[in-house]
Amino acid sequence: MNSADLTINPARSSMLSRRPLLVFLLLGCAALMLLLLNIAIGSVQYSFAEIIAVLQAPPNASTAGTIIWNIRIPRAIAAVFGGAYLAAAGLLLQIYFRNPIVGPYILGISSGATLMVSFVMLTTVSAGLTMFSPYLNTLAAFVGAYAVMLVVLAIANRVGGGATLLIVGLMMGYLCGAVTAILTALAEKEKIKGFVLWQLGSFSGFKWDEIMLLLVGGGLIIGLLYAQSKPLNAFLLGEEYAASLGVNIRRFRLLILLCSCALAGMITAMAGPVAFIGMAVPHMARLSFGTSDNRILIPGACLMGAVVTSLCDLIARSVMAPVELPLSAITAFFGAPIVITLLLKQRVKL
Amino acid sequence: MSLSTTGPVLQVQQLSVGYNKSAILEDLNFSCERGQFISLLGPNGAGKTTLLRTLSRHLPPVSGAIQVRGKALAKLRALDLARIMAVVLTDKIIPPLLTVEEFVALGRYPHTDYLGRLRAKDRNRIYAALDDVHASALRHRQFSDLSDGERQKVLIARALAQEPQLLLLDEPTIHLDLRHRIEVMTILRDLCRDQGITVVASLHDVDVAAKISDRVALIKNSSMMAWGSPESILNASSVAKLYDFDQAVFDSALGGLEIRGQVKNGRAFVVGGLGSGAAVYRMLAKKGFAISTGVVQEHDLDFHVARALGAECVSVGPMEAVNGASTAQALRALAACDFVVDSGFALGPANMANADIITHALVQGKTVLSLRKESTPWLAQAKSSTLHFCQDADQFLHFLDSNAPAPAAHSSTDSLEEPS
Repeated sequence: MNSADLTINPARSSMLSRRPLLVFLLLGCAALMLLLLNIAIGSVQYSFAEIIAVLQAPPNASTAGTIIWNIRIPRAIAAVFGGAYLAAAGLLLQIYFRNPIVGPYILGISSGATLMVSFVMLTTVSAGLTMFSPYLNTLAAFVGAYAVMLVVLAIANRVGGGATLLIVGLMMGYLCGAVTAILTALAEKEKIKGFVLWQLGSFSGFKWDEIMLLLVGGGLIIGLLYAQSKPLNAFLLGEEYAASLGVNIRRFRLLILLCSCALAGMITAMAGPVAFIGMAVPHMARLSFGTSDNRILIPGACLMGAVVTSLCDLIARSVMAPVELPLSAITAFFGAPIVITLLLKQRVKL
Repeated sequence: MSLSTTGPVLQVQQLSVGYNKSAILEDLNFSCERGQFISLLGPNGAGKTTLLRTLSRHLPPVSGAIQVRGKALAKLRALDLARIMAVVLTDKIIPPLLTVEEFVALGRYPHTDYLGRLRAKDRNRIYAALDDVHASALRHRQFSDLSDGERQKVLIARALAQEPQLLLLDEPTIHLDLRHRIEVMTILRDLCRDQGITVVASLHDVDVAAKISDRVALIKNSSMMAWGSPESILNASSVAKLYDFDQAVFDSALGGLEIRGQVKNGRAFVVGGLGSGAAVYRMLAKKGFAISTGVVQEHDLDFHVARALGAECVSVGPMEAVNGASTAQALRALAACDFVVDSGFALGPANMANADIITHALVQGKTVLSLRKESTPWLAQAKSSTLHFCQDADQFLHFLDSNAPAPAAHSSTDSLEEPS
């Protein structure tokens, strides 16, 4: 090594760190703007001044106050968290399986969560417990997500190969869907409507205690993940190299799976299954930040997920207003072309 | 943690390795010293990879003990082990969107803080590692854009970034072109010599392994057939046994493999010596001729090549002059051959008799192919119609193709192509 290397290096590393910084800044601004737009736009029209006035005042019982504080703000925040956590879950799964096309929805994790939530919502299993308690639903979704994850893993370990993994996930999705459909057929009519609406995927109807659960529970998990970004980076080399670098593989595998299932389960429980965010957003983050370094990608994917999901939610409820389109339909319009483009450009290989 | 700084880096006692408690390789005992290059040789499926995976702790041993720097491998903390031992595996890993420098930086894992931040010392170590594998110029390239050869070098650099004392490599030269094969091997050898790193690698090129290794392990049929310096244990019979060869022979003096041809043509008598015959023997073997040769001095290059190719070889002792007894023996062998080749050897007092063998063959009316100049006085005197000159190897090969005599009755019954 010569002195030229030493002098070039600081310049280069600063150049390297400038791009993520710029992207972070842009995404941050976009997220903030979309958050405000989501609060401002809705079926009831408010002027900018009215909104500012409501935001400055503490929550009150006026119509505007109720609509903005109890409907729009929780929904806007839920979209931010929902996008962020689904993206983080997808990022984790893509690192874990070293497969770029996986995500919570594709692997059947969302379907597993849906199945368990349908048990809670459609049957009388939860009789006596408060219905729609976010904790119960979240717990059920987590259990469902994790159970499907374990089955997919067990089969993936035996068969291996990227395409097989996707097919196994797809099949698990169909199976869970079948059970869910049977449960729906057998359920009481009053329960079905709520469940069907939930199943379309939507960030509407979030309550403040759910938002708090997202903030605290999800925040803790994201924090934990960020602290694990070093072993996550080692995992880019695959399990065997990661082990040879000193990563405790067994503990770490469990951690990744628990975290991704908890994040995806939490969002699925509250917002219903949302497609494509978990798979497409990590790619968008990777390409726009231009790196696979998870110290940048974990916050980056979260921010990107927040932006994309906020945008999708805004489109879902404003394009055909007052009719609200299912969120998963919008995210699919967004996500499917992205994945196909990636495949065509050979950015990803199965 | 107290690790011994003297004594073997890696020591293996009574080790059995395998999957699910069933051993595929048993009773291994060896130790690797600082700065040694150790090659594991053996056919595919012999268990080389299983052994390496056990040494790198990816697989638990079925039984027996492995010690790294005097400590039981199983008891070392993962991070402590990562500071001593690094691995280069065969799986093709191509993480996207990582520069070569970032990729090598992943090797700093056991040395950096909890977020993996790189300090000046880490960066210097990364540059040094890239320098060691002659890949400094690749630093800013995308890892996913590298060629196989470049990628292999960068994988080694990543392992070096761990600052290991022990480097395990599974088939590091597989899929590489010749240039990168040699480059990777010399890089590894330099790591042993210059940095005192102990390298354990499974290899397929016996000839390269013989020239670079300090120790080789021959692995076959669920055991280690032999362990020792390549000079002492790699020879024609051990290599033939290791790989079940019958068409090729390893010659330790030549340091390589000679490929035998399937005899489908007649028998040629080559008058050779002093290295002139080696290429001729190989051409004849390639074209499917049985070979007899003489008179060569033992330990002449021709002597080794002829023996490796299974030729009937009339020889005299080293530095001994070709004498009457050997000439008579050569002429008897020549009489049984379909044609004679004069390899164009240099003549001196010790091998004058070989020129007489050629003139004798001409007198007998044998076809003689000479690779000498037509102006050579003693040949020009012979003025025989059965004497043909070949200017170069191409002419010689052309002659063999166009005038290939059918195998005579004797060559199908005798067993001279087998080594004696």
